[in-house]
Parts: sequence; structure tokens; C-alpha cells
Amino acid sequence: MSSTSAHDPRRPNKVVRYKPPNTNGGPGDDPTPDYMNLLGMIFSMCGLMMKLKWCAWCAVYCSFISFSNSRASEDTKQTLSSFMLSISAVVMSYLQNPQPMTLPFQ
Amino acid sequence: MKTKHLILIGLLVLGYITAAKKVKDADFDDNEFAEFEDFDEDEEVTLDEEADFPAESDDTPQQQATDDNNDDDEEEDDDEGTVETEDDEFDHFADDDEFEGFDKDTRTGKGKSVEPDLKIAKVPIHLRTNWDSFYLEMLMLAGLGVYFLNFLAGKTKNSKLAQAWFSCHKQMLEENFTIVGDDGQSKEPTQGGLMKESENVYTIWCSGRVCVEGMLVELKLIKRQDLINVMSNLLKPTSDQLVIKVNMDQATEKFCMCVANKKVAGKLQKDYADLATFTEKKSLDRYNVPSSFQLLSEIGEATSLVLDKRVCQALDSFETQIEYIHISDQYSGPKNQYEDNQTKMPEVKPTIVFCFNVAGKGKTKTTDMESMKPLLKLVFYLVDKVARIALSKEGKQKSDKNRQKAEESFLKSAHAQRQEAAQLRREEKRRQEKERIMNEEDPDKARKWEERQNKQDLKRKQPRTKMLKMKGM
Repeated sequence: MSSTSAHDPRRPNKVVRYKPPNTNGGPGDDPTPDYMNLLGMIFSMCGLMMKLKWCAWCAVYCSFISFSNSRASEDTKQTLSSFMLSISAVVMSYLQNPQPMTLPFQ
Repeated sequence: MKTKHLILIGLLVLGYITAAKKVKDADFDDNEFAEFEDFDEDEEVTLDEEADFPAESDDTPQQQATDDNNDDDEEEDDDEGTVETEDDEFDHFADDDEFEGFDKDTRTGKGKSVEPDLKIAKVPIHLRTNWDSFYLEMLMLAGLGVYFLNFLAGKTKNSKLAQAWFSCHKQMLEENFTIVGDDGQSKEPTQGGLMKESENVYTIWCSGRVCVEGMLVELKLIKRQDLINVMSNLLKPTSDQLVIKVNMDQATEKFCMCVANKKVAGKLQKDYADLATFTEKKSLDRYNVPSSFQLLSEIGEATSLVLDKRVCQALDSFETQIEYIHISDQYSGPKNQYEDNQTKMPEVKPTIVFCFNVAGKGKTKTTDMESMKPLLKLVFYLVDKVARIALSKEGKQKSDKNRQKAEESFLKSAHAQRQEAAQLRREEKRRQEKERIMNEEDPDKARKWEERQNKQDLKRKQPRTKMLKMKGM
């Protein structure tokens, strides 16, 4: 099975360049980073507008998860912007009301 | 005489008023209100005066004198006991009709309250003074810290595993391919290394071999960088996977088959169009292959040529590691769920796909990568074998017939879809024109358009009637 020098399977004239499979890898692939990104943005909006601290914290978690699951081919700007938004949601919630957080069912 | 009396009375009244003012400076308020109190009597008196002026002209001064006396008494009373007089004095305060626009509630609040209602203001908890109350925040930060640490650890582990695999198999790849690790970016094909698609997916493209256009190796490792995935893996362990996709030359024989683990065979047949269209479930009794595998085959002859002794032996020894082997000349990737209505046949390429599980079931060590070497050897062996397969005449006929049938059925469904689409478009156009005409204010234009439409409809119907006539004749 292993190739010997007499039976070298290599053919330098048959080289084909690599074409990244853009069409396959996208929506068909793992959609986790996109969902988490969207969820993170929704949570941070809720946290900012309704001044809910737990929403803002959830947003931070969501953007973290989205970042860790992201593909290298994806734009980092999207993930970074969602991350920044969630951090700002947390900071704003605490500036407006520097009380300890209360969970929604408490 | 009467006028003299009038003047006298007027002077007396004036004198009384000024006297009252001088004497009663101290108790101004009281007398002021006292005056008002007696005002009704004065009014009565004046009325009476008007009615019967001469008779009562003497009475009024007398009354006023008595009033003065009363005031004096009240004054004396004031000095001795203020409360009672105050009550008397302030009776009219209790009368709501006396005052307009007066809010009784505020007045009662300002007054002497029986119980002092002390409202203890809530002092906000400050971070520096009261750490304990922020325990939820600490928990959140701790959670984030743990997640981040896990991310770093997982990322490093995955990277190490990928590099270990590459270093183990580099030599074998270089022996078989001219270019190992082309990234497709630079002008000239370069010898690179692994390409990082994400923190858990690494790929490498190899090209320049006989019978093969190119080979894409994908290392689909577990998402060790994501804490949630790690926890779900503790509950349901999964393996790292190695997917090798070999694009064959166009000269390969046309047949379709798949040997897969029973658990994934069903899913594969559903997901891949070529397996769904061409293959059927067949039994593996004839072959010396473990029962955990399922065979999907189109042409029995081709299957028996592929599954020779050596391949069956490999399937037996690497039973847990081989997930599936998919050989097809009509490979077009997994079915795209979003594009159900395809008017054009998807592009197909002759391909062999191998899916291997890395030993260790998730708890892989870098040393486990060594055990993958025989599997790569199997890949090259099968590639060479499939390239050299030559079907008999019957086999070729059968395969050609199958492909033709599939194409026809696809075109039919595509044609039907295209007709439907065209019909919808025509209807949409007509509706839009109708709307436009409805909105047209000029009645003449509307009439003209309607006439035109009727003519067109008649024309469309005419040929049929014409043909009938001809037949009749």
C-alpha cells in the first residue's frame, strides 16, 4: 500500500488549487455563533432599556459563547461589537442603580 | 329734620368705627371678625332702618353699644382663657363654606399630628461597605472567569491534537501528494500547514496525485473551548472526527455506494441526494464485515469489487473508528434544506468521503493520533482501487440507465416548478396592471385597456375553437 520510488503517485502537473467551500460552510453549518450573537444583542437591549441587570449579564455570557464558537472566516467586528454592547449594558445598569442584582424570580 | 337725623347717624357710625380701631389694636383680628359676625345684625338693622328709619334710629347706636360691650367682655375673656375663646373665635374656620379654594387636607397635615410619622429613608448599599450583598455579581464574574479559563485550555488542547495528527501523518501525505497544505490564497501553490477554520476545526488541502484531483482533510474536534459543549459531552460523550474528502478524476467508474455505521446510515441516506436517489439498503452477509455496519449499494458488482478481502479486514479491525465510507460519482454534498425548489441539477463530482472517529471517545490524547496512521493507508488503498475499477457491460448499462432516469424525473419536476413559477408571474403581472388601471382616473383609458384585454383573451381562446371547427369539417 505504501508507495515506493518506482511507483511514485505524485504528479506535479496535476496540482489543483484549494477553493474554500464558502457555500457549504455558512447557514448549513453550525449556526450557534449567529444565534448567540443575536441573543446577546437582544439581552443587552432589554438590559439597557428595562434596567434589568440579569439581562445584561446574560448578554455578556451570550457574546462570550458566540465568540468561542465563531469561525475564523467570520468577521470579528460583529462579535466584538456584540461583546462591547453587552459590557456597556452591564456598566450602564450599575451606574444607574448601584444596588446588588436581584434575579427575576426573587 | 330728617336729613339732620341722617347726618347725625352717619357721624355716629363713623365715630364708632374709628374708636373701635383705636381701642382694639391688639385684638385686631378678633374684632375684625367680630365685626363680620355681627354684620348680619347690622344688615338687619340697616334694612330696618330703611324700612322704618325714624323709629329705629335710636336703636342702632344702642345695639352698637351693646356690641361694644360684648366685645369688651370677649376681650376680657381672651386674657383669662384663650382656648375657649379661640374655639368661639375660630368656629368659622370649621365652616367649609367660608373659604374658597382651600385644601383641607394640607391644613390638617400641618396641624398637630397625634403620632409622629417618621419615614426612615433607605440608605443605598455601597459597594465598599457591604461586599456580601453583591454575591450574585461575584458569582457571575466567577462564572465568566471559569468560562474564559476553559476557553484557553480547550483551545490549546485542540491545537495540540491537530498539530500532533499533522506531525504523525505529514510524511505519508508528502509521499503521496506534490502539494501538502495549500491555502489557495497566494499566487503559487505553497507548502503550508494546517488551516484553522475555527477553534475546533482544522483543515488541510493536498493535491498533485495520480487519479485524484485533490484531498481535503478536516479535523473536526470536539468544542473543548466552549464550556457548555464540554458539559454536554460529559453527559453524552462524542468523539473527535476526521473527515477526508477525496475528489476523484472524471474517469472514475459511475457507481454509488456507502458502508456506514448503522446509527448514521439512515441519516446519511436522507441527507445526501445521491444516496437517496440511487442506493438501496443491502445486506452485508456475503462479506466478512462486522454487523454494526450497514451497506447502501446501487450496483452489486461494484460493491463486491470494492469490498475485497483487505478492505473487509480493515473494517473488522477498525470497527469503532470507521464511521462511514461513501463512494459516489454523483456526489453533491448534503441536501440544502433552504433550496427545495431547484430548477437546475446540482453540480456533481466523483468523490470518496471517509469519516473516522479518533480513538478515546472524547478523552483523546496526542499519542492517540498515531493510531490513525493505518486509516490513512486505507484511504490511499481504496482511492487507488476505485480508480482502477472497471465495471462489466451490464453494470455500466445499469448505471447509465439509473442516471438517465434520475435526470428525467428531476427535469420533470423542475419543468413543473418552472411552469408554476411562470404562471404565478403572469398572474402577478395582470393583477398589477389591473390595479394600475383601477387607479387611473381617466375613464377613457380604462375602457381602452379593458377592450385590449378582451381582444387578447379572445385571441387566446380562438385557436382552440378553430381546431375544433377544422375537425368537424
